[in-house]
Amino acid sequence: MELTLWTYEGPPHVGAMRIATSMEGVHYLLHAPQGDTYADLLFTMIERRGKRPPVTYTTFQARDLGGDTAELVKGHIKEAVDRFKPKALLVGESCTAELIQDQPGSLAKGMGLDLPIITLELPAYSKKENWGAAETFYQLVRGLLKNHPHEKGSQNSKAWKDQSRRPRVNLLGPSLLGFRCRDDVLEIQKLLNIHGIDINVIAPLGASPAELMRIPDADANVCLYPEIAESTCLWLQRQFETPFTKTVPIGVGATHDFLKEISEILGIEPPNQSETSKQSRLTWYSQSVDSNYLTGKRVFIFGDGTHAIAAARIANEELGFEVVGLGTYSREMARPVRSAAEKLGIEALISNDYLEVEKAMANAAPELVLGTQMERHSAKRLGIPCAVISTPMHVQDVPARYSPQMGWEGANVIFDSWVHPLMMGLEEHLIGMFRHDFEFIDGHQSHLGHQGGQPTTKHEPQTKYLNPDEAAKEIVSKNNSPIWTEEGEAELAKIPFFVRGKVRRNTEKYARQAGCRQIDSETLYDAKVHFRN
Amino acid sequence: MTTTLTRPIDGEGSVQVQQDPSIHIEEGALVIAVYGKGGIGKSTTSSNLSAAFSKLGKKVLQIGCDPKHDSTFTLTHKMVPTVIDILEEVDFHSEELRPEDFMFQGFNGVMCVESGGPPAGTGCGGYVTGQTVKLLKEHHLLEETDVVIFDVLGDVVCGGFAAPLQHAHYCLIVTANDFDSIFAMNRIVAAIQAKAKNYKVRLGGVVANRSAELDQIDKFNNRTGLKTMAHFRDVDAIRRSRLKKCTIFEMEPTEEVLAVQNEYLSLAKKMSESVEPLEAEPLKDREIFDLLGFD
Repeated sequence: MELTLWTYEGPPHVGAMRIATSMEGVHYLLHAPQGDTYADLLFTMIERRGKRPPVTYTTFQARDLGGDTAELVKGHIKEAVDRFKPKALLVGESCTAELIQDQPGSLAKGMGLDLPIITLELPAYSKKENWGAAETFYQLVRGLLKNHPHEKGSQNSKAWKDQSRRPRVNLLGPSLLGFRCRDDVLEIQKLLNIHGIDINVIAPLGASPAELMRIPDADANVCLYPEIAESTCLWLQRQFETPFTKTVPIGVGATHDFLKEISEILGIEPPNQSETSKQSRLTWYSQSVDSNYLTGKRVFIFGDGTHAIAAARIANEELGFEVVGLGTYSREMARPVRSAAEKLGIEALISNDYLEVEKAMANAAPELVLGTQMERHSAKRLGIPCAVISTPMHVQDVPARYSPQMGWEGANVIFDSWVHPLMMGLEEHLIGMFRHDFEFIDGHQSHLGHQGGQPTTKHEPQTKYLNPDEAAKEIVSKNNSPIWTEEGEAELAKIPFFVRGKVRRNTEKYARQAGCRQIDSETLYDAKVHFRN
Repeated sequence: MTTTLTRPIDGEGSVQVQQDPSIHIEEGALVIAVYGKGGIGKSTTSSNLSAAFSKLGKKVLQIGCDPKHDSTFTLTHKMVPTVIDILEEVDFHSEELRPEDFMFQGFNGVMCVESGGPPAGTGCGGYVTGQTVKLLKEHHLLEETDVVIFDVLGDVVCGGFAAPLQHAHYCLIVTANDFDSIFAMNRIVAAIQAKAKNYKVRLGGVVANRSAELDQIDKFNNRTGLKTMAHFRDVDAIRRSRLKKCTIFEMEPTEEVLAVQNEYLSLAKKMSESVEPLEAEPLKDREIFDLLGFD
């Protein structure tokens, strides 16, 4: 067992809360001690939701454990059902309650309540938040639909043609505390509508149990977030023979492929590539002269499976970046991430230890980091520009304005939010160079805070923050690198920051080859001569 | 002041750890565990029975619990990798696995899983079975299954022997009409009775295998309250099907083969429609020697 300060995902019951809170008319009875109620704040603070999640905690205390916790559970179930009058009740336990083995699901089922009760068994010690969300959505959909009549062989995703109606699909997977789900749903609805496809049900976000009952009416399912919806889509395919899409429409290429896939499933004319490539400004912006200096920039990508894979494709195919690191914290998505990394000729990093990720980041020496809030912190520490592409997120990643990741507009948003930190980063050295100019005295703070715009001479007063070069050195020096002398460091500091990392790496490589234990300014210039030849 | 602790009720003399109650197979599926002395034909019986259930239109899952992992061999026509092998590959991060990694479609859609086992002399076969059930459950493979058949290892009485009892509704005991295999059956009956105190498992009956006569089995049944559910003579077709790596249902339909097929189908039918839990009383070792030992 590892103790850690920060985690990428919460325990699985938080995933169940995400599903319950995303929906209408669903209540979640959570057998949990008092302390576990903290999870409410994720929804009210990060997602800035105006209401508390529809969760009743049994909040047992130490003294309850001497008595009958089962009675406590039943009392809370009754109260919750009387007060909130849900259309479906989820019953589960948090990690602590799992140990008491009260089996609240069986208790609820034995109470003779007149509403669907879904028992959740979420192994808190081996599974995590996204798995919990996926399992909850699956159990809810299956619980409501397993007795829904279906004649084998009757599903036909092209049947709409004979029924004089437009084809209709479900959008499955969007949930609260997912990355930009709210706006993605609108964008995909718009996109499908243009291509003559109607939306049947969107779930779990905003759906009621009654709407879940209408899921089988769709001609196909769109699996927007495989982390949340894949197991449900697979079950719907087994149970109702409904096909589902496997492409996640993030980026210009993927959006085109998505439209092609859904068109083939529904039997409609697939869109023309030359047309679709004009739908987003990303394509032209990244081809334009202004963006020439983006080409070949080293980028490190880490996030959930869906967004990391999408980011790697956009970075590589659409922006001309060089992907130097790709990884995910979701074990469930380890396989597709590994194969995406393999295609790029790199090895995927599958880890839920943010310090390990930070180390990999420092070693890859990227010029841009695309990651979660955790990577944003690491990147800040290392002085590297960063854009957030995935959960876990910060309140600032839930903007008030419309900013989807999916579809054509999503590609525009991605272009802006990735390229701006990079451009700002490139201008960073100018702040350093002109720091002594009278026009630069104040009001020109670096966006990296005190760490940006490193002084080019060492006589500048030291900031109390860890200097990014120091941080990089500290992390990298663990792999037995040669030591930089003070004079060597000073010489290195004169080099503009955006090539400094490369010079540092090359010099260290040279020093190792030459067997130098220490690097001073002479070694630096020897290395320069060495690599020039 | 001192208190005398009462011994937990878990079978006579057993101090086994209770099964984790969260690992249970969803209600609805009929779970059968097949027991018997080593080498008596449990795997052959299990596979043919699975095939018979599938012929009746049931969705069947067969779980081989023997480290030898050849239980489902005649269904899949190959040696499939075991759950433990596959888990080792992903460093026991079961989230990375997909059903197709460890579950294989066999004859007539029978789903086949080999749990595999720990290296000889180490580990616990019960743990391996538990992990397998957990994995199947996490991947929702048990929810739409009508019949689950555990093919249990015959040689040892340990966790690997006991674990399937915790999931099963009925046990079938495979035996021949000879003293040794009936003696083993008697011990199995005792173990099942012990488990039945805490779990839902009940005795389903006896499958007489490779025996022309049934006199010894009948004698034992009359005395203990067991019942013979199916009878297979020493049929060469069954032996040949094994050599051909297929179930009896894929053999040339000669009269002999058809008779055997019908016996399996009738066993499957009885198990799904009219099986009654048997209240059998095992014999003491001395009694069984007196009953059968000196003939």
